[in-house]
Amino acid sequence: MEILELKGISKEYRSGRGTVKALSDINLAVKKGEFVSIMGPSGSGKSTLLNIIGCLDRPTAGEYFLDGMKVDRLSDDKLAEIRNRYIGFVFQKFHLLQGLDALGNVELPLIYRGIGSAERKRRAKEALDAVGLSDRMRHRPSELSGGEQQRVAIARALAQEPLLILADEPTGSLDSNTGRTIMELFQKLNAERGITVVMVTHDRDMAGYGRRIVRLLDGRIKEEEFIVKM
Amino acid sequence: MKLFKSWLSFWVRFFFAAQMAWQGVTINPLRSGLTVLGVAIGVASVVSLMGIGEGARLAVIKQFESLGSNVIVIKAHDASAEFAPEEAEELVERVSGLKYASPVVNTNAVMRWRRARGQVEIIGVSADFPELRDHKLIAGRFFTKWHVEQRSPVAVLGYNIGAGLLGGRSPVGQTLTLNGQTYRIVGVLEKKGSGQAENIDDKIVIPYTTALKIAGKRTVDELWVKAESAKAADLAIAQLGRIYRRKLGLDVTAPKAVTGGGQQAPGVGAEYPEEPQPSPQPEEQPSLDLGKDIITITNLNTLVEEADKANRVMTLLLGGIAAVSLLVGGLGIMNIMLVAVTERTGEIGVRRALGAKKFDLLLQFLLEAFYLSGIGAAAGTAFGIWGVDIFNRYGFNAVISADAIKVAVFVALSCGLLFGVYPAWTASSVPPVEALRR
Ligand SMILES: Nc1ncnc2c1ncn2[C@@H]1O[C@H](COP(=O)(O)OP(=O)(O)OP(=O)(O)O)[C@@H](O)[C@H]1O
Ligand SMILES: [Mg+2]
Repeated sequence: MEILELKGISKEYRSGRGTVKALSDINLAVKKGEFVSIMGPSGSGKSTLLNIIGCLDRPTAGEYFLDGMKVDRLSDDKLAEIRNRYIGFVFQKFHLLQGLDALGNVELPLIYRGIGSAERKRRAKEALDAVGLSDRMRHRPSELSGGEQQRVAIARALAQEPLLILADEPTGSLDSNTGRTIMELFQKLNAERGITVVMVTHDRDMAGYGRRIVRLLDGRIKEEEFIVKM
Repeated sequence: MKLFKSWLSFWVRFFFAAQMAWQGVTINPLRSGLTVLGVAIGVASVVSLMGIGEGARLAVIKQFESLGSNVIVIKAHDASAEFAPEEAEELVERVSGLKYASPVVNTNAVMRWRRARGQVEIIGVSADFPELRDHKLIAGRFFTKWHVEQRSPVAVLGYNIGAGLLGGRSPVGQTLTLNGQTYRIVGVLEKKGSGQAENIDDKIVIPYTTALKIAGKRTVDELWVKAESAKAADLAIAQLGRIYRRKLGLDVTAPKAVTGGGQQAPGVGAEYPEEPQPSPQPEEQPSLDLGKDIITITNLNTLVEEADKANRVMTLLLGGIAAVSLLVGGLGIMNIMLVAVTERTGEIGVRRALGAKKFDLLLQFLLEAFYLSGIGAAAGTAFGIWGVDIFNRYGFNAVISADAIKVAVFVALSCGLLFGVYPAWTASSVPPVEALRR
């Protein structure tokens, strides 16, 4: 069953100096439980595509179905609700709130879902446990290493119990060793919990953690590659 | 689409917004402190300046009240127009609504008390005086009509003089001399306070008949009458105007003939109440044409109202000037909130990505502005009350006006909200992609 389906998606940026066509006629379907890596040179539209998949942005043309729902023309608040329900984000720059400790950051999406404090804390602790940070709950982001911060971000996504985790260069700010731990974590969540993962990366090795690689060039899908594991 | 799934959902998000807003205030204490100070200065100046205005107003009211209510003062400004003292009594008979009347003789005399001597101010009045000016006695009694007729050498002392003679013991029954003549002290007036009731506390009150003798005069330049009520005073003043215009030879029916005669016609100026009275309005014209009023008839009630009105205007003016600084404080909030929104765009983006709705961000930033203005209002009220205290130490009669505080706090809070709305709106409408790019 397709968890996301893009049909003829285009994205144009209009500015004073003319229009930039960041994506043109993207057709992509991802099945539940897949682990997809998106690769491509800088400026090829990877982030733009991921933002549209993540309902952070709307396409200029085309249709987008998320878990069977047509979401390409919904209001801002409705999209916020969908992100909150279905999508966990992991960003290159972690994007944790500096004013909150690890636990608070993991609780954040659950607060916007309106879940009461006790239930929230339970789920947040569980998620931090799953990424191996139960001993760092009361630490602020500034007191954590890059790898730990990224694990907090993953825990934050996990606590949402999402259908889909989207990661834009999740290892881009980390050294390769730490990067590999993060990728293993993704692989584990994908395998054990059946969470669909769509990830953007520059790194061929990191992309290899997935089972399918989508290559973009100039806003178009150039080729798709399936990795068969021994 | 329903905004909230349940009350729980609402409160969870509300408290979180409140908490985040508070974090926004405390994360940069110096900046928040300065913003709060701006609002506080605005509120404090409104509270203290309006306190001064209000204090001045109350002082004027108190002063007029110490002169007695519904009192009409008839005053001659020219020796030729002075009154026979008996006229006071006649007025009570002739003019309806008048209850008490007294001629007033102001003069000086040398007082001797035991071995001490000094100049004192004398006021000569009729036996109606205590009722007329709402005076009470703390010792003895006021002199009577009989004393007045007999030109008796009796004296009622103002509070300060009365208290000074025997170091606080009642001097009633003792004697003193005024210009060499011996007077019996029959009473002492209650304290009115300095500056009140024409400084009666420092004067000696004697029958006007006796006072005229001291002054060496037969006529008086002032008559005081008291009406039964404010309404009666309004009606009486119209009648008094007619009486004195006729007396001065200003024919009420043909005023032009007199003024046109080329002679220096005496004029009557009557200060009428605001509402049109059944008196002939055009007939007042001649007195206005003449440069100077020879007799003025003044209703103290009207004076109180006018002074009160003027003082209210002054209070509002002071408040208005202070409100400008309150506005500046409000702009300070807006400024700092705009900075906060710009600074926290990235954070706003993260919140949006994780599912914060416009409502959540709007609430968070509005509450932050509200906290700043709220703390400012509270601190400003405290400063304002303190300021009133300081002003009073330097001789003002400022009061802590509940109205001023209410207005200032209300304006400060609504300023906070009003100037917070725009930045909060900006925050809530940042597209998440834009915000995350930071
Ligand atoms: N807000 C924007 N306004 C105008 N043009 C934009 C905007 N965002 C992206 N673009 C353009 O769209 C194209 C695709 O950008 P995108 O960020 O998706 O590239 P990318 O593949 O993620 O690159 P990188 O690997 O460097 O992150 C680029 O040419 C970029 O200049
Ligand atoms: Mg990118």
